[in-house]
Amino acid sequence: MVLAELGGSISRALQQMSNATIIDEKVLNDCLNEITRALLQSDVQFKLVRDMQTNIKKIVNLDDLAAGHNKRKIIQQAIFNELCKMLDPGKPSFTPKKAKPSVVMFVGLQGSGKTTTCTKYAYYHQKKGWKPALVCADTFRAGAFDQLKQNATKAKIPFYGSYMESDPVKIAVEGVERFKKESCDLIIVDTSGRHKQEVALFEEMRQVSEATNPDLVIFVMDSSIGQAAFDQAQAFKQSVAVGAVIVTKMDGHAKGGGALSAVAATKSPVIFIGTGEHMDEFEVFDVKPFVSRLLGMGDLSGFMDK
Amino acid sequence: MFQSIAGKANLEKADLEPALKALKDRLMTKNVAEEIAEKLCESVAVSLEGKKLGSFTRISSTAAMEEALVRILTPRRSIDILRDVHVAKEQHKPYVVVFVGVNGVGKSTNLAKVAYWLQQHDINVMMAACDTFRSGAVEQLHPAIVAKEAIQEAARNGSDVVLVDTAGRMQDNEPLMRALSKLIYVNSPDLVLFVGEALVGNDAVDQLSKFNQKLADLSPSASPRLIDGILLTKFDTIDDKVGAALSMVYISGSPVMFVGCGQSYTDLKKLNVKSIVKTLLK
Ligand SMILES: Nc1nc2c(ncn2[C@@H]2O[C@H](COP(=O)(O)OP(=O)(O)OP(=O)(O)O)[C@@H](O)[C@H]2O)c(=O)[nH]1
Ligand SMILES: Nc1nc2c(ncn2[C@@H]2O[C@H](COP(=O)(O)OP(=O)(O)OP(=O)(O)O)[C@@H](O)[C@H]2O)c(=O)[nH]1
Ligand SMILES: [Mg+2]
Ligand SMILES: [Mg+2]
Repeated sequence: MVLAELGGSISRALQQMSNATIIDEKVLNDCLNEITRALLQSDVQFKLVRDMQTNIKKIVNLDDLAAGHNKRKIIQQAIFNELCKMLDPGKPSFTPKKAKPSVVMFVGLQGSGKTTTCTKYAYYHQKKGWKPALVCADTFRAGAFDQLKQNATKAKIPFYGSYMESDPVKIAVEGVERFKKESCDLIIVDTSGRHKQEVALFEEMRQVSEATNPDLVIFVMDSSIGQAAFDQAQAFKQSVAVGAVIVTKMDGHAKGGGALSAVAATKSPVIFIGTGEHMDEFEVFDVKPFVSRLLGMGDLSGFMDK
Repeated sequence: MFQSIAGKANLEKADLEPALKALKDRLMTKNVAEEIAEKLCESVAVSLEGKKLGSFTRISSTAAMEEALVRILTPRRSIDILRDVHVAKEQHKPYVVVFVGVNGVGKSTNLAKVAYWLQQHDINVMMAACDTFRSGAVEQLHPAIVAKEAIQEAARNGSDVVLVDTAGRMQDNEPLMRALSKLIYVNSPDLVLFVGEALVGNDAVDQLSKFNQKLADLSPSASPRLIDGILLTKFDTIDDKVGAALSMVYISGSPVMFVGCGQSYTDLKKLNVKSIVKTLLK
């Protein structure tokens, strides 16, 4: 299971605390240190982890807890809530509706998996009876259009792109217009990989977004990304209205903690995860059952802050 | 960083702990993998424990750490590609480099950069595309055979170097790792170059150790070839979070031979160990 190792470490830390006869400062600290370590090993941003630790300590405040209170339960709940807060920005992302045309734009760092994920996203919806279409607004990378074309052809999804035109804005606009006319209800725009240090690349992304006015911008990130995740995700959010995150390559060994950083940085939920190179290796992601499974506590929905 | 312990005669482990924890935290914020940061701090502790404060104050804390980091980042075995290419040339065989790594890290792009760099040194380069998955590639062909034929062709037409591209693969993907071991076994390249991105976090450790482990375990050969060097990509995307370089070199003992720092064919540099160490300790 995804993020399973992180979940295992956290459950173990909680279990150890449960085994202690008396819960004092030391027991709590040991537990929090274990969890902190697990989060850092999973690539969650350092500052987020620190903040989480401080928050939990504030909430739990052992001195204030009268005797007789179930400390374990209070601590468990605090940890659960903090993890949920990290993974769940509180509001759901825009969800496209069948038969009502939506434009979805994919953005992200170089090689994160945008083009592959565009096809997966289209294919997933096509199987559910949508009419998706793919637009290749990546005029930067050699072979980008061929790659999208090949993917789209395999999935029998209409596509638009150009070998000659070098302006991604122009292609994006033309593609979106064409597919709106053809009454496609899910128009997906693939863009070039970029990073915050290249201002011109970010400006180009902003222009594509402005010209196509997407209903949803999806930030695609590689699950193996380390401490740079937060800064990059935040920069994307500052340039375009990122509304959701997809984490790719979860079939690898990475524990995917960068996803937590990206959620925090973009205030957007993870909606899907990629679990392989092939079209159908794609799963819906739902945070709450996930976190409770993660903690090995079964379904804790009734347990949460509303 | 070590100010709090001034005034003690002998350093004990407990005295060092807060300072070491601060050091570990700092390394992790710079994207050094947790496991590596921990190990580094342990070895610093060992080297400082029991030292008389006199000698300790002389080697200022950062100097000791700087030294340790430079040592790690400076390869035990150094590889001089240009020299080795010329040696191969004298023996009338093409020098073969295989680029390996996980998906999307920049193998194909940086292979082109290396080709350009070699051409700048008047070396004839041939490229073999054995990445049979992404973008327009032919899926049916067997990568090991494609590489073999490319090398034979290079020998015929007098190319000095063959750069072999391979498809990205996850280090846990047994069939794909087996195929890679086979490609390397069949072609016995002069250099196995691991391509890893500077963006990668804790997975850096797993990627390198598993690539080496799988190349060893899954190879038909009794003395299998492992990773010789590292090409670190996307160095332009990480600001001061340069820790992946340290994680990769520490875990594999292989040197960073090139650094990719952009998407154009001229964006290839040598690793600047001093500046990495400075950045890590800043
Ligand atoms: N194993 C695995 N590989 C993936 C997954 N998603 C994408 N990939 C691979 O990652 C590599 C890069 O994927 P692309 O979709 O081309 O990435 P991109 O973001 O479009 O890249 P640029 O356009 O160059 O920025 C390819 O080898 C894909 O097959 C995944 O979920 N699992
Ligand atoms: N910013 C930056 N981008 C890079 C660098 N090297 C490669 N890239 C980009 O990373 C993306 C992936 O590069 P590829 O060369 O296709 O990666 P790959 O490892 O061959 O990918 P697969 O064959 O699919 O596994 C492309 O968009 C490249 O332009 C670099 O040093 N800096
Ligand atoms: Mg792409
Ligand atoms: Mg490639």
